[in-house]
Amino acid sequence: MEKPIIKKSLFYIFPGLLIFFYALAAFSGENEGTRNIKKAIVKLNKAQQVKAVIPVPKNIVRANVKYQGGVFFTETRKDKIKRFRCSSCHNNKKVSIQNAAAIAHADIKVVHGGKDKPLSCYTCHSQEDRDFLVAGKESKIDLDHVYDMCGQCHFRQKRDWIGGAHGKRVAYWAGERVVKNCTSCHNPHSPRFEKRWPKTYSVPQK
Amino acid sequence: MKKDTTSKGLFSFIKDAILWNLSGSIGYQVYLCLLVCLMLIGVYGYFIQFRLGLSATNMSNIVSWGFYISNFTFLVGVAAAAVMLILPAYVFNDKDLHKVVIIGEVVAVGALVMCMSFVFVDLGRPLQFWHLVPGIGQLNFPSSLLSWDILVLNGYLALNALIPAYIVYCHYKGKEPVGRYYKPFVFISIGWAVAIHMVTAFLYQGLPARPFWNNSLMGPRFLASAFAAGPAIICLVLHVVNSATDYKIDNKIFNKLRIIIVSAAVINLLMLFSEVFKEFYFPTQHSQSAIYLFFGLEGHNSLVPWIWTAISINLLGTVILAFNPFGERQVFLMPALVLLIVGIWIEKGIGLIVPGLVPSPMGEIINYSPSNVELFITVGVLGLGMFVVTMLLKPALIIEKQYEDSHGEHH
Amino acid sequence: MDSDKKKKINRRTFLKGAASAAITGGVAVTAGCKGKGLLGSSEAFALEFQEYFKKHYRLMTKTERKETVSRLEKLARLRQDITVNIDTTGPSENVLFGYAFNVTRCEGYMECVQACVEENNLDRKSNTQYIRVFEMEHGQMSPDKGDGKYFHMVPKEGHFYMGVQCFHCENPPCVKACPTKATWKEKDGIVVVDYDWCIGCRYCMAACPYWGRRFNWNQPEVPKEEITKEQHYLGNRKRVKGMMEKCTFCIQRSRKGELTACVEACPTGARVFGNLLDPDSEIRFVLENKKVYRLKEDLGTDPKFWYFID
Repeated sequence: MEKPIIKKSLFYIFPGLLIFFYALAAFSGENEGTRNIKKAIVKLNKAQQVKAVIPVPKNIVRANVKYQGGVFFTETRKDKIKRFRCSSCHNNKKVSIQNAAAIAHADIKVVHGGKDKPLSCYTCHSQEDRDFLVAGKESKIDLDHVYDMCGQCHFRQKRDWIGGAHGKRVAYWAGERVVKNCTSCHNPHSPRFEKRWPKTYSVPQK
Repeated sequence: MKKDTTSKGLFSFIKDAILWNLSGSIGYQVYLCLLVCLMLIGVYGYFIQFRLGLSATNMSNIVSWGFYISNFTFLVGVAAAAVMLILPAYVFNDKDLHKVVIIGEVVAVGALVMCMSFVFVDLGRPLQFWHLVPGIGQLNFPSSLLSWDILVLNGYLALNALIPAYIVYCHYKGKEPVGRYYKPFVFISIGWAVAIHMVTAFLYQGLPARPFWNNSLMGPRFLASAFAAGPAIICLVLHVVNSATDYKIDNKIFNKLRIIIVSAAVINLLMLFSEVFKEFYFPTQHSQSAIYLFFGLEGHNSLVPWIWTAISINLLGTVILAFNPFGERQVFLMPALVLLIVGIWIEKGIGLIVPGLVPSPMGEIINYSPSNVELFITVGVLGLGMFVVTMLLKPALIIEKQYEDSHGEHH
Repeated sequence: MDSDKKKKINRRTFLKGAASAAITGGVAVTAGCKGKGLLGSSEAFALEFQEYFKKHYRLMTKTERKETVSRLEKLARLRQDITVNIDTTGPSENVLFGYAFNVTRCEGYMECVQACVEENNLDRKSNTQYIRVFEMEHGQMSPDKGDGKYFHMVPKEGHFYMGVQCFHCENPPCVKACPTKATWKEKDGIVVVDYDWCIGCRYCMAACPYWGRRFNWNQPEVPKEEITKEQHYLGNRKRVKGMMEKCTFCIQRSRKGELTACVEACPTGARVFGNLLDPDSEIRFVLENKKVYRLKEDLGTDPKFWYFID
């Protein structure tokens, strides 16, 4: 009496399981995921990636290099230097005080270039025209375009900075590309970040 | 269905059931009061937890599931284990087990009520529970294993409550239940019992984030440990019924259950050995949880005494049950069953859930032990489960006894 | 059997009826209480009552979204006496957010962690943090070997730092796990939580292989003056105890084109954020020109968070 019932139920159970496994397999099918992003090669309109209006930040300057997306901007630096213009002091008049540089620029400590070959002021600053930086003979670099100066040695970092792997954007990921300048983050006289206490800490879980 | 013409309708059935439940010896009244006290402790605990949030427990962002879900996991097994009585009783027409199958089903209902209560008290926002109800809420089916578990547990509860209710109701009216009405559901419930425990195992097994759980042996091992611990608990209930009521249970039944328990316990130990071998023959990063469980990590070893106790009493209980030193007298039967139950409860509860979550995916190791609130609520839920079992069992056994006495000669 | 079925149907219709009755009742109560100063909180109570019966965010119509936002804004005014602005901006076409983390550059200053806590109104009582920074000894690359609890001068010699947060997987296990569909992946790739729909079962937490989710074990507390008022429904709005929450790539900022708080706060430029579908973006430059790797790639979760080394 009972055996046929078992047989009958087996008759239903096996196709049922088969359908179940098929559904499960179909359900958890391959998902292409982030492999898809390589296919996204169409240039996007910078203004149309978000609906919000993105204000153009003040105090920026057009970089004289281009990144993969064309023109971009970087923060100006001259307006952040307190005693700019330098030529208001350094104006070819003789300075009669001894150790004048140490007194006038006591806040500056050059820790740049390693112990064996430390940099001096004139490695970067132009001796002739104090308002500019120097890049080899007779070519001057504006302080707003300091990346050209730094990039002479740190060419790898400069390449990454142009592309976007070094440094960071200012405030917006969308809209016109505006990035921090080298000296926005690094002190040019002592470019390595200082050791300090972290801003906060993680409380251990109970 | 034809309307019954006798005075014994559904209304008098319920009335009699309530009356039978409330009347009894002084010992029974004290026992009921005790259960109510346990439940009140639970209510008190839940009141605190409801006010403070789950921070009243010792769970944290690392051990995000604790004592509640541990007990839930164990009890799903107990519920599933009713199948070990249903299968021989209904399918193989075992006369002895047929007599106690109702007790197994009632224990399953009690276990399920406890399961659902444990899940409920574990929710962070219990008032939003209706979000799970299809129709007014949204159930993430079939994607989420938790939604499977909810459906499967409720279905099993319905099956295990309605089948015996129908049979008992028929017996109450002095009629033979119609096989064609309930037999199909019995067969469904057999498959369903396996399903509830497999789905609960899949709940953990389906998480690649947790290597300790993401293990294909989990489902079968859950079943094996459930088929050991569940019938063991049913055995204990039978023992209580045997000694406290005049519904006498034959020694043969205990022997049959003992054999079922021993076979399942041995398979469970075998699978445990297989798991331990995998974790410790060549320990990998994924074995960290097992090391934490068995030996402790970086001074965090709160689980170590528990798991070794569990394994020892598990082995001891299995050995005693297997060799049954006193033969028919069964002196050691009950203590051995208790050992086995406690062993599996530790190993499958806190010994399974906590190491799955520690070390955290980011490698952090902490200790976990339940807080007082968790213990209070657990005690309350346990009281609720026992209350449900008592309330269902008492009228059922009275009706069965009456029916047997009046119809006994026909069988 | 029949009577049982009937019972079930009755129960469902009853629940539905109860819900709609409650909503109309709530409306009536609100209407009745407007302008009455007898019980200052009765209006708030009525609003909360209506909030209780609201739908899943994704099923709401535009007007329903507007209504719930205005209720939430009103509640903030009534309960906390602050004016918040809750945004519901959806994802834009052709945007898929991605994130890269420069392991060489990070110095462990934890500025990002602090900025995130402030921006996202994280609970100050239990010190919830979405970001964890691990201090790791040279010679290893897995954060579970690192120290996430350091507090000393950084950077420490012989160590490097690695930040970890929600990785916004393309194939998120947490979404698959959630029993109520309260967490999902938006079209722009952000994995979000509908806080009000979450029931707090914490299954998603167990499913996340990156420990990216945080639970409100207690009632979260944020000092009134420190609350960020520019909010998003799926982002940094008020949460209560028992809800799951997580990093949303600062959805209230990123959907408007702004950088996330962690990127903006990072003093070393170790964090890169942008649109993966824009071939000119910084994040694409990193993916194409740097050697990148992701955590636990073997799990197939496909996170949109890459680590790279200069």
